[in-house]
Amino acid sequence: MSLEFLVNWLASTPVTAAPLLLAALGLIVSERAGVLNLSAEGLMLAGALASAAFYQELGSNPWLGMLGAFLAGAALSVLFAVLVVVMRANQVVSGLAIVFFAIGLTSLLGTLGGWTDTALAGFSKVDIPVLSDIPVIGPILFRQDPWVYLTVILMIAVSWVLLRTNTGLRLRSVGHNPHAVDSMGIDVIRTRFLAVVIGGGLVGLAGGYLVLASAKIWVDEMTNGRGWIAIALVIFAGWQPYRALLGALIFGGIEALIPRVLASGAVLPQYFVLMTPYIATLLVLIWAAVNKRDLGAPRALGLPFVREDRR
Amino acid sequence: MTNDAAGAASRDSRGGFGRVTLEVRQRLPAWKHGLFLAISLAAGLLISVAVLWMSGVGPVGIYEEFILYTFFNAKGLSNVLVECTPLILVGLSAALAFRVQFWNIGLEGQLILGGMGAAFFALNDFGPPETRLALMMIGGLAGGALWTLIPLALKLKLNVNEIISTLLLNYVAFQLLQDRLYGGWQDVDRFPHSPQFDVAERLPRIGFGDVDSGIYLAVLAGIVVWWLIDRSRFGLFMTFVGSNARMSKAVGLPVTAVVVGTVLLSGALSGLAGAVIVSGQEYRLTTTFAGGYLFSGIVIAFLARNNPIAAMLVAFLLGGLYVGGQSIQVFYNLPAGVIDLLQAIIVMCVTASELFVRYRIIWRHR
Repeated sequence: MSLEFLVNWLASTPVTAAPLLLAALGLIVSERAGVLNLSAEGLMLAGALASAAFYQELGSNPWLGMLGAFLAGAALSVLFAVLVVVMRANQVVSGLAIVFFAIGLTSLLGTLGGWTDTALAGFSKVDIPVLSDIPVIGPILFRQDPWVYLTVILMIAVSWVLLRTNTGLRLRSVGHNPHAVDSMGIDVIRTRFLAVVIGGGLVGLAGGYLVLASAKIWVDEMTNGRGWIAIALVIFAGWQPYRALLGALIFGGIEALIPRVLASGAVLPQYFVLMTPYIATLLVLIWAAVNKRDLGAPRALGLPFVREDRR
Repeated sequence: MTNDAAGAASRDSRGGFGRVTLEVRQRLPAWKHGLFLAISLAAGLLISVAVLWMSGVGPVGIYEEFILYTFFNAKGLSNVLVECTPLILVGLSAALAFRVQFWNIGLEGQLILGGMGAAFFALNDFGPPETRLALMMIGGLAGGALWTLIPLALKLKLNVNEIISTLLLNYVAFQLLQDRLYGGWQDVDRFPHSPQFDVAERLPRIGFGDVDSGIYLAVLAGIVVWWLIDRSRFGLFMTFVGSNARMSKAVGLPVTAVVVGTVLLSGALSGLAGAVIVSGQEYRLTTTFAGGYLFSGIVIAFLARNNPIAAMLVAFLLGGLYVGGQSIQVFYNLPAGVIDLLQAIIVMCVTASELFVRYRIIWRHR
């Protein structure tokens, strides 16, 4: 494996890792509040289509496209939140329903709106003046599109808000023990609703990134399972933003590696390699259970909050 | 932010409408339950019709495609039966597992393994031709059951959440399939599908359209599952374990055996669905044969409230939705996702109605 191959691969890893990290951040926000969120794949698709639509309709401005992505993810999450937080519906079924709702709706709207299969210029890479000329590290760290850097900033911001502010404390307590928090006067329903919607917006951003910075086109079902990888990633990361960065780099690195290795002609059991994110997550689950270690899951994850259900 | 409990109790969770309290229902008469279900289904269907209308399919078109040409037309009806054969099996599979509170979200993975199991016996020409179909079906059952072993063991021994483990294994299964179809099982034409099955390895047609004898297997499975749940001691145990596993264990029921048996059977049924698809319709193993069955299986179990007879009926109706949806795609130029959209809308309406089923809503005006 030559140095050039290595540098090329590592330089393309941030592009595959960024949407995973963005989606994971969004999921962490909503799941830390106690809402099991299986709708990620659907939210990403909605954000992806919206970014393509906003971009094409509003003068080819990729930043407006990302705004559209956030709004679409948030809007779809409003629907999810109404079902799951307000109507206390089954979170597994509702999450899956949202995914298929989004698959269908984006496919339909993409066709009706004529935004499908159109190449977009999107975001171009930013060339940081002096630093990007450093031999090996330069192209990897200092020649990426702006959203790679923004994602890292978002990660720091989410982590800071979650772990060091009162808002974050409230959010985490709601996911940990909503009944105790409810008796202290905190509005569990409102907190969960907001967490789901804002988290959903972040997941939508991940979809927008796929369209505007990665593939530069919208096609049906283009997220291709990344939403599910993000869900596995969140578990792998123990619901912590910084560990999610590690996971995103690993899973994104694998995604970036495989086509390159295949193109270079090497023989690779590629499908077994593609299994690694899922097997890795399973192993984390097993390891945590064997060691009786707390996975880090919010204790009230997946349980609808009904005040009258207090035991 | 007040700290007293009284203050919290009077500040209701929705704000503005006076006080809304949810009271857990102890008992709901069956007719009321049915009424809520019917209303929510009607709401879902209405919204679906509206969506179709806005996409260019008028009510006449909807009636024609989904009702007339689907159920009252021989070709349409035969297509519905073809579609609903695997649907019945995955619906039963999901319903069984959900009955013992094991959230088997791995239906698609089990279906894939079942298809691969059947293909294994077919492609390696195991045994004499007369017995090969039977072997293939057993391979399907075994493959599906096998794929539930890991999540089962993880849940029972280590208390690992089965939602996640079964979900992850779906993707592992898909990659396994890809590996075989691009590798050892690839057809000579270099496409990612297996060679065609021999005549002895195909489920015979029953003589009505394209319907294959898999439909007999599906209906038989439905009857067996119904008998198991409704008439056998095992089924009684299942009901106990599903309602309260801890108490069942305290009372001395073999909880582990019940859960293991049920989940293995659940996996086996999904596996059989896979075997039936590849040997009844496709006659080869492909990359896409498992598409969409995960959500459909869960939808069927959910709408049928885990009742096997209802599941067969819901599967039949869902098959009709698919067939109608396919002709909508062709004649009205709508993308394939439209069927997913309609399914999702109906499910969301029904799942939202759970609120009214589980709780009584009490309004106290100030």
